[in-house]
Formats: sequence, structure tokens, C-alpha cells
Amino acid sequence: MKKQNDNKIKKTGLGAKASRRISNAIIYFILIVITIVWLFPFVGILLESFKTETNMQTPYLFPKEFGFDHYVKLFTKTDFLKWFGNTAIMGVATAVLQTVFILSMSYVLSRLRFKGRKGLMNMMLILGMFPGFLTMILIYKVFADAGLTEKMAPLGLIIVYCASSAMGYYVSKGFFDTIPKSLDEAARVDGATRFQVFYKVIMPLSKPIVIYTILMGFMAPWGDFILASYLIHENSQGMNVAVGMYEWLSRTNMNTHYTMFCAAGVIVAIPVVAVFLGLQKYYVEGVTGGAVKG
Amino acid sequence: MASIKLTNVKKIYGKDTVAVQDFNLDIADKEFIVFVGPSGCGKSTTLRMIAGLEDISDGTIEIDGVVVNDLQPRDRNIAMVFQNYALYPHLTVFENMAFSLRLKNVPNDIVYEKVTQAAEILGITEYLTRKPRALSGGQRQRVAIGRAMVRDSKVFLMDEPLSNLDAKLRNQMRAEIILLRQKIDTTFVYVTHDQTEAMTLGDRIVIMKDGFIQQVGTPTEVFDMPLNLFVAEFIGAPKMNTFKTNLIEQNGRYYVTPYGAKIEVTGAKADMLREKGIRSREVILGVRPEHITRADVSDPAAIPCKIKVNEMMGSELHLHVEEDNGDKLIVRIPTVSLDDHERRAMVYGSTIYVTFEGKVMHFFDPETELNLLV
Amino acid sequence: MKRLSDLDYLKLNKWQAFWYKFALFICAIPSAIWKGIKKLGGFFKNCGVAVKDEFVDIGSTFKRGNWAVKLSFFIFGFGNLFYGQIMRGILFLLFEIVFIAYMVLPSGGVYWLIKGNWFKIGSTIGTVQPQKNVYDPITDQYITIWGDDSVKVMLYGLLTFIFIFAFIYTWRLQVKQCRICMDITAKGKKIRSGKEDMKSLLDDQFHKTLLALPLAGILAFTVLPIIYMVLIAFTSYDAAHDGYSNLFSWVGFEHFNELFNFGQGGLGLTFGEILSWTLMWAFFATFTNYFLGMFVAIMINKKGIKIKKFWRTVLVMTIAIPQFVSLLYVSKLFTTSGLIGRALEQIPFIHDWRLANNFVSLWDSPTVAKILLIVINIWIGIPYIMLMATGILMNIPQDLYESAKIDGASSVQQFTKITLPYMLFVTGPYLLTSFVGNLNNFNVIYLLSGGNPIKGTAGGASVGHTDLLITWLFKMTLGSTESKYYMASIIGILVFLVVAILSLIVYNVIPSTRNEEDYK
Repeated sequence: MKKQNDNKIKKTGLGAKASRRISNAIIYFILIVITIVWLFPFVGILLESFKTETNMQTPYLFPKEFGFDHYVKLFTKTDFLKWFGNTAIMGVATAVLQTVFILSMSYVLSRLRFKGRKGLMNMMLILGMFPGFLTMILIYKVFADAGLTEKMAPLGLIIVYCASSAMGYYVSKGFFDTIPKSLDEAARVDGATRFQVFYKVIMPLSKPIVIYTILMGFMAPWGDFILASYLIHENSQGMNVAVGMYEWLSRTNMNTHYTMFCAAGVIVAIPVVAVFLGLQKYYVEGVTGGAVKG
Repeated sequence: MASIKLTNVKKIYGKDTVAVQDFNLDIADKEFIVFVGPSGCGKSTTLRMIAGLEDISDGTIEIDGVVVNDLQPRDRNIAMVFQNYALYPHLTVFENMAFSLRLKNVPNDIVYEKVTQAAEILGITEYLTRKPRALSGGQRQRVAIGRAMVRDSKVFLMDEPLSNLDAKLRNQMRAEIILLRQKIDTTFVYVTHDQTEAMTLGDRIVIMKDGFIQQVGTPTEVFDMPLNLFVAEFIGAPKMNTFKTNLIEQNGRYYVTPYGAKIEVTGAKADMLREKGIRSREVILGVRPEHITRADVSDPAAIPCKIKVNEMMGSELHLHVEEDNGDKLIVRIPTVSLDDHERRAMVYGSTIYVTFEGKVMHFFDPETELNLLV
Repeated sequence: MKRLSDLDYLKLNKWQAFWYKFALFICAIPSAIWKGIKKLGGFFKNCGVAVKDEFVDIGSTFKRGNWAVKLSFFIFGFGNLFYGQIMRGILFLLFEIVFIAYMVLPSGGVYWLIKGNWFKIGSTIGTVQPQKNVYDPITDQYITIWGDDSVKVMLYGLLTFIFIFAFIYTWRLQVKQCRICMDITAKGKKIRSGKEDMKSLLDDQFHKTLLALPLAGILAFTVLPIIYMVLIAFTSYDAAHDGYSNLFSWVGFEHFNELFNFGQGGLGLTFGEILSWTLMWAFFATFTNYFLGMFVAIMINKKGIKIKKFWRTVLVMTIAIPQFVSLLYVSKLFTTSGLIGRALEQIPFIHDWRLANNFVSLWDSPTVAKILLIVINIWIGIPYIMLMATGILMNIPQDLYESAKIDGASSVQQFTKITLPYMLFVTGPYLLTSFVGNLNNFNVIYLLSGGNPIKGTAGGASVGHTDLLITWLFKMTLGSTESKYYMASIIGILVFLVVAILSLIVYNVIPSTRNEEDYK
């Protein structure tokens, strides 16, 4: 083989340790900047919620005087408690029902082979390409007749959130796909029916994805604006937090409700953030495990 | 084309997990050195320190007289073959092999020449446009070696390159590495846990355990004169039989008394015992399975054993036998020396009588486990 | 075009190789299209063959069937009852009775189908217009006598069609089952009893049990409404023809012309503008997030960086906090009286620029609003990618990097030559999903800018510079006096087409979608 002239050992640039130290320092700097940018709005909303002014024309971040006025007003002068309750109920109900639907669908598609499986997956893929909320044109009409709008909108919304939720099976199917097929086979040889395989073998192994699905179901109603606004139709009794609070920041309400919005935002964020951070581990497993494969 | 010198090299993980302890070794130019030892003995860590993939906690590593402790791997001019091949899955075989040259912006025609040359040597020319996933294990390993070859580097590091292959391929690749070495004539450092690879490939073998070098020597040296019990048992397959017994000195002659038999130590071993002036004492006696032979019942040196397992290897028979008080021995018997009747008699539970010659024994101190003759 | 041998191909340098591949690609297009056509033809042929086989099978079943099987052609489930499958038989029979009853009852299926004037372009859906201001002698008042509601007439019509299809399918199913029962008995084997049927639902028919509820949900709340929505595109359903105070009618493709009319009164121009911004938005939103998120993931996962969990948690906060809270708040931060807007005001250049353009806040400038949207979307979107990239990065075998280091790659080269190709390879399908997700990213746009600044009205709704198709659509259906539901429906169909075509292309170009086992 030909000899190359750069065969000598020579140092190019910095040594291993020094260059690592410098790059780490740069990374720490960037990460700290990111932390500030990421947390600034959240700190901001928290601090502003303690201001006693009602508008946003206050040119300072830290409240001049701390006050809980808005928090008190929230629960005494507005329907916020009702909205919060509506959303919480929807969150819990959706979490349960959606999990059942999604897990059934994804389990079937991942583990069982039957006629029409490919066709079913293709159908859902194609359906998913339509803008989902267009279905609300019809659903609103039907629900209005059935009395599932306005005041009863939370019930209607639970149905809307859950009924078609099985179409979001991708992440959990990705997870199920990673469980070795040989486990099923071993259990079947040992005499288990498919149902027993499902609840005795696969379910116990699927804790992360079950929790992930529950978490997703719980969080959906807290952030939903679009579907909710169709069914609720400005009836304060049936509102969820998103639709209710959205009005507070409209041009007409801004000056009187801005800081109230902040306070309400803080209260809404607390349960969701608590649940989320508590279950973060499973969320990460779900996103990293299932999302990539699916 | 480079010598490597390791002086007092240490690797400590975290606060006090010692992976490599006081490693001193001079590797001559164009030498083929093999690091061998059980898993976790620090052999790979040492190799990775030479490569620059691990920091060196203490001591110095020199390549061609230059201290490389603080050099990036890319500045050390080494090539390395990894256990899991480390082929880039998104690149074709050609681009995998050309990777380092591309990084240096080597002109295309030179890249082409070098890669095809290496591919020719390794017999993978027809796979050059394929992706690694379309190759078998052996072919992938060849690509990995080829990638290292095109670099023309001073040192060729190999980290258990054959351990992911099946037994047959492994033997074949081993032979190819020996041929390869004649073709590319550079300094090799090779890590393995397989003593056969170590024995067949290495000019010298470094046997390690728990971060310490146990012995450095040529294959013959470590086989014939293991420095301690560990080396003795590690080198050679099936492993050396060892058992506690008494060494008795009578009038300048030495005897061992395993299991009631009395066997005289003869030949060079006896001379060495005499030179060292060793008296009667307790020893750990080591005898390799191939040095144990069948004996007559009448022979005073015969040891009666019960057969527990009979492994038919084709050219020879490996018998796992148990002595009366429960000690287990392994005996290797060439099949040519057996007639059918004898072979059929060697079944579970039957008794055979074995003995061994006096010139093939190894003696170790029961306390220090060191070879008494060194 | 002449194909090079492998070795000749390898001799090419980077540019030559690129052009060679490009030429190959171009040359492959005609054959790919031809293949596609052939495939489609094959599909239709298969369908035809399947239908033909069905008919042949039905015919032969009738011919060689015994009297019980023949009778089951008219009486559902008769064969099942005959062969002892009592439960199935009764269910089939019930279905037939219910169907016939529904169809012929006074306000049943036939009634609704006739009322719907199906497939008659120009006719109203429903036949009775409401009569307004009718004098009611009993109450002595002017009242409205309500007529038909087109929405309902259409819905019942649609349901009836579905019912008819179900009827035909069930008929075919039970005939087939009868034939199978007959064959099994002829062979002297036993037929599955009702009890065994039930048991099999937990074993080899377990998928039916699990799928029953979710599929019913999808059919009722997605399939049916979507078919309905597609049908609306061919009607004149809008605020003026709302179905009950004024019937709407079948108009065929008339409104599609309105959308593609680029002249005066047509929506073509607006549609084109919104579509191009939508695509641009999706492109930037997807790729800024993708690369920055990956970059952040790499930084956090670098060896030697401490408190990894903390950095991750900080980022993940934007996922945890409901978007309507964080996005609405952030959008206000950037107004002139908001904290950030105010700070920016201190910069004379920005202040002057704002005043010169008569903007109340930064959101009033189309360009700035668009940039702000993309930037704020980074804040919202990076964490997802970061988490995903973390998972993938951990899956990249470490020895690839070690090997590259020894081969002389710097950290930048390690990124461009290993991490990036690997990530792109693995996340190909994800990129598509995320692109589609951004095409339809309602929340970010609606909560941040609301589609503003406004540039006019179109399709019965105000349209802003930052409106996506999806937010425009939303505004069209909000129920104002100018809502044009048919237009929303047409745009929905177009969104579907855009997504479907994109997906088709991507799935055929990206290798990892074809073979998911590649990286294992």
C-alpha cells in the first residue's frame, strides 16, 4: 500500500480535554439561555397574576404590591369554577374511555392478524387526512337536536373526544410492536386464549404506554379550543376553561380581565403540570418508543 | 510502523472503580500483540485508551515516542476494528471504507484505487455498492477490516473483532487475519477473550485479570510456563486440571501423591525443582488434560475415576471424570488409541484408571498461586 | 440511458454521481408512472374479479344448495336455524324484519330517499319549504309552519343508503354461512354452537370483540360525518340556505368553479395566497423545530453535561402547560403594551418603523407576524423533537461515533456524517406526520395571531394574512350570517388532496417508510 505523507503523529488543534471543556462551557451557556427563554413566560404569568391591576398596561414584571384579588374574584365573581369542573370531568372521562379505545385498536393491529387488517389501517390513514373538525358541521346539528350542546356540551365533548380516538393508535401500536411476538406464542402454547394473552401477558408489560395514553387523554380537554367552541356556543355553564378564558383576552375584555386571565391560567396549569411532570417518564417513553416506529 | 509504549497506565472510573492498574508494556514496531482475559479484566479499556476513546487516568501512552495522552483519536493515526463492526448503516460498503479518506478530502481517483485494492484483498469487491444491512456477519467484518486498511495507519487496533461470528466463520476469519497481517505488516493490538485466538494470532500475549497484567509472553511461554494459576487455567482448552496435593522430596527425587497414587516428577521439571531447592510441601498440581493418559489397574500411579460426561469431539474424546473424593478432572483421549469395545465401555458411571507423566506437571503455591518454578 | 457497472459508478466523483443518480431518477419516472397505472388497473381488475367471484359463488350456492339454503336466500338466517345455529339465525332474521319495517314505514327509508331528491342537480333537498307569516286563526297570530330540514333529510337519506349496503352485505354473509354449514354437515363434521361462538370472541375472534366499540365510534363520528361533509360540497348549504328556514339544494360542481375562479368575485386568488402561506408555514415550522430540537437534544445528551433531567424538564414545560394559556399569554407579551413588546419599543428603529406603518402592535405587520409565529412555534415545538431525538440518539450505536473519531471526524463532521443521516433516515415518516400536523396546526395560529392582520373577506369569513386553510375553514363554519358551509367542505376536500398527494410522494421517496427493519 502507498505510504501517505501525513502518517506522522501531530496535534491538530486543541488537546482532547481542553477542547471538551470549552465546548461544554458553550453548551452550558446555551442551555442557560434556553432555560431563561423557556421559563420567562411562565414566570411572567405567575408574577402578573399577583398584580392588583386588571389591565396589561403595567410596565413592570414584578407586582408593585402582591395581591390575591384575582384569585378570590375568580371563584366568587366568575363561572371559572364551573369551567374548571367541566374540564376536569372531561379530562378524567376522556382519559378512561380514550385509553380503552386506543389500546384495543392498537393491540389488535399490532398483535392479531385477520382479514381486513391492512384495509382497516389504510382506511384510518385516509380518514386522518381530512381536517378533523369538519365533522363538527354534522355532529353539531345532531347533538343540538339531542340536547348535547350548550349546557350539556361537556357530555357531548366527551363523546366527540372519545368516539374516534382509536384513530390515534399509532404511538401505542409502535410500542406493542416492540414486545416480542414470541411472548404471545409462548403463552398460546401454554394454553392461553388470545384474551388471556392480552390481559395476562401484554398488559402487564405495557405500563408505560397505558400511562402515556391516559396522560394524553387527560390533557386533551384542557387544551382543546376548536371542538369545544363549536358545541358550547357561548353558554357559560357548559364551557371548558379554554373557551371560557379565551373571551377574557378579546379586545373588549382585555383591560378588565387580563390579570384575571393570568391567575386563571396559573390555576389551570397547576393540575396539568403536576400530572404531567409526575408521569413525565412514561410520556418520554411513549414519545421516544412509539412515535418513531409508528 | 510504530512502536507503542505504555508506562504506569491507570484507568479509574468515578472515584475508585479501578479498571486498569499500572499497565506497563512495550510494543515493538510491527509486532502483533494480543490482550486476552475474561470479561471485565480491562483489556478493552486499555485498547480504548490507546485509541484515545477513553481518558487516561494516570501514566503515559507513547506512540512512536510521542506522548499521546492528550491527543484526539483522529490525531493519533490509528485504525480500529470494532466488535459490532460499527459500519455506518446509511452508507454503502464503498463509502464506509472511504469514510476516513473522504474526511481528508482525498481526490476521488485515489479513494477509488485504495478502496478497490483493499476490497480485492478481502474479497468483497462485488458488495461495494451494497448497504451493510445486506451483508452477512462475515462480510460485514471484512468491510470493517477494509475500512481500517485503507487508512494506512501506524497502528491497527482490533477489539474482539471475531466474537460476533459463528464458530466456523471465526476460524476462517482468524486464518484470514494471519494472512492479512503478512500483507499489511504494521503494528497490531488485538483484544479477545478467546485464548485460541490469542495463541494463534499473537507474537506476544498479554494476559489480564481484574485490571492487572498477569503475564506477558509468547504463546509458547505462556503455555509452557504460566506464571500463576490463573494463566495456567486460562490458556489451553479444555482447561488445565488443578488439585491440591503433596510434593515429596526424597533423596533429591520428587514425587507427587494425588489421590493415593505416587508419581515421580521427571525431566526438566525435576531439575528445576532441584535448582530451586524446594522441599516437601503442599502444592497445587496442574496437569493439562492432554497429558493425562489411561493406566493399568496394577500401575501404582493409577488413579481410579468414574466417568460423568463423555464428549465425543471426533478426533478425540473429552472425558469429565470424578475422583473418589469428588474432585473433577478432564481427560483428553485421542480416538485413534481406542478400539470399539473400549469406546463403548466409556459410559456414564463406569470406572477408568488414569495417570500422568512426571515431566508435564506444573506446581503452584496454594497461598500465592504463583508458579513455584519461576 | 446506459447503466454503469458498480465499479464504474464508484469511479464517479460526488458531482458526477449526483447527476448520474438524478438522470436515473428522471429516466425512472415514466416507468414509475406506468407501474402506478398498471397497479391501479390491477386493483380495479382485482375488484372486478372479486365481484364476479361473488356472483358466481352466489349462483352456484343457489344451484347446489338444498331447500334450506335456497330458502335462506329469502328468509334471513333460515339456514342457520335449520343447521342448529339458533342465535345467529334469530339475529339475522331480526335484522331482516327491522330493515323491511324501516324501509316501508310511513316516515321510513323510502320516504327519506324520495324527499332527498338524491343525485338530481338543481332540486332542493327536502320538498316542503317553511311557510312564514301564516295566519293562525286559533292563536290569532302570524306563525311559521316549519317544513323539511335539508340537513336532516340528507342525513336520513345517507343513513338509509348505509342501511341498504348493510342489508346487502348481511344477506350475502348469511347465504355464505348457510353454504358453509351445508358443506360441513355433508362432510360429517360438527357445526359450531352458539356457545362456542361466544367463546371464540375471546380467542380466535378476539379482534372482533376489541374492535367493536372503537370501530362503531369511528364509523359514527368520523366516517359518516366525513361522507356527509363531502356531500355538502355539492350542495348550496350556507347561512342563507340553512336547511330549515330555507332549503338548500344539490348544485353539483358549481361551487368548485367559484374556488378556482381567479377573477373578480372568485376565491381563487385568496385561496392561492392562503395555500402558499400554509405550505410555507408548514415547511418552516417543521424544519426549524426539527433541526433546532435535534440540536438541543444533542447538547443535552452530550457526555459530560450535568443535570440532564433538569434541562429536559425545563423544555417539557411547554408541553405540560395547556397551549391556550401559554400561547394566548405569549401573544399578548408581544403586543405594544406587553412586556416584550414594550422592551422592543425601546429600540428606536422598531418604534419608528411601527409608527411609520401605523401599526398598533407588531402583530399588525403581516411579515413580522409571520416571523413571530414561526419563532414562537419553535418555543412550543422543540420539546417534542428534543424528546424524540433523545430516544433516537440513544439508539445510535456508540461505536459508530468512536469509529468516526478514529477515522478523523471532528464533532461537526460526526453530526453531519452520522447523526443527521441517521436521524433523517429513522424519522422520515415522522417528518411527514409533523408536516401534515403543521398544515393543520390550528392552535398555534388561532391562539397567537387569530389569522390577523385582516386582509379582507372571502368565503363568508374574514381572512387574515396569517390564516391557514384550517383557520379560514374554521371561521367559515363559525355560524355567522355569511357562513358558507359548502365552501368549507370544498376546502376540506382540497386539504385532504394536498395531504394525500404529499403522503403518496413521500412514502414512495423516503426509504425508511418502505422498510422499517432497516436500522435494526
